[in-house]
Amino acid sequence: MILKVEEMNRVVQATILPDEASLSNADAFKEEMITIIGKGIRLVIVSFENVNYIDSSFLGSLVVALKYAMPRNADICLVSLKPDVKNLLTLIRMDKVFRIFDDFEEAMGTLN
Amino acid sequence: MSEDSDQITIVFKSNRESIPGTLNLCLNHIQQNVSRSLLDEDLMAKIKWVIIELLTNAVKHSGERESVLRIGLTAYGVVLQKEDYGKPLALVGHHKKKIMWPLQEMVRPVDFPIYHNGMDSLCVRTDERGRAIFFIEELAELEMPALLSDTSEHFGLLIMTKASDEFAYEYEQDTGINRFISTFYFTQPLT
Repeated sequence: MILKVEEMNRVVQATILPDEASLSNADAFKEEMITIIGKGIRLVIVSFENVNYIDSSFLGSLVVALKYAMPRNADICLVSLKPDVKNLLTLIRMDKVFRIFDDFEEAMGTLN
Repeated sequence: MSEDSDQITIVFKSNRESIPGTLNLCLNHIQQNVSRSLLDEDLMAKIKWVIIELLTNAVKHSGERESVLRIGLTAYGVVLQKEDYGKPLALVGHHKKKIMWPLQEMVRPVDFPIYHNGMDSLCVRTDERGRAIFFIEELAELEMPALLSDTSEHFGLLIMTKASDEFAYEYEQDTGINRFISTFYFTQPLT
């Protein structure tokens, strides 16, 4: 299990549990995200609060999940990214396709 | 790990479980041997991203049990080299153009885009020795980045190219060695 999940009103807060978001858990993350989105969720808020480093494999899984979500009218946003992780997303322009917030509360605020 | 005055060689067992330990070994060596005044957080983060991608590349693509990582420290910067005897690099370009190493004389020089995310075009150019030099051409910003159209085996190359000051690949046909080379220059070299 890669994600700790809490759902309320078709909004899921999904916290990545490992401190490495990498090749070792990228496939499991993708499968768990697709399972969540397949349940008719409208927003998945993914928290990176535990993640110290991320690699290209995990970033690829994140994009696959977003591609799965978009035609299903679901969205994915990212919260609690440590500076190193956020800077890497920015480096390859992923901040242009994912909305990034400081924390769950800020992301939830955008629903209204 | 073997060591000489300015370079260490680390043998990496090409499995994903070994990545965190090898990464820490590399970062510790660099931090212990480079002055803090030359090694700011931004540079250290870039070196870390490239090491992660070099090791991940070894696990995913080399097909070999072992790879070698060399860390060179000079007055001007840090040079990371990853070597293995695995499958030579093959690149499929953005327009389905494909090149594989060893390059035939007749296909040199090569210069074409590999991938773009709507804002950055990752390109490769080969020199007279068949060495591949990766570089980025910035594109006019698109409303929806093409990032979503290619989920991408190219993220790793994109990260290494953008994070490095120079990023290259070479293949030694006589020995069968593949070598990725990432170079970082200090903002203020040692004098």
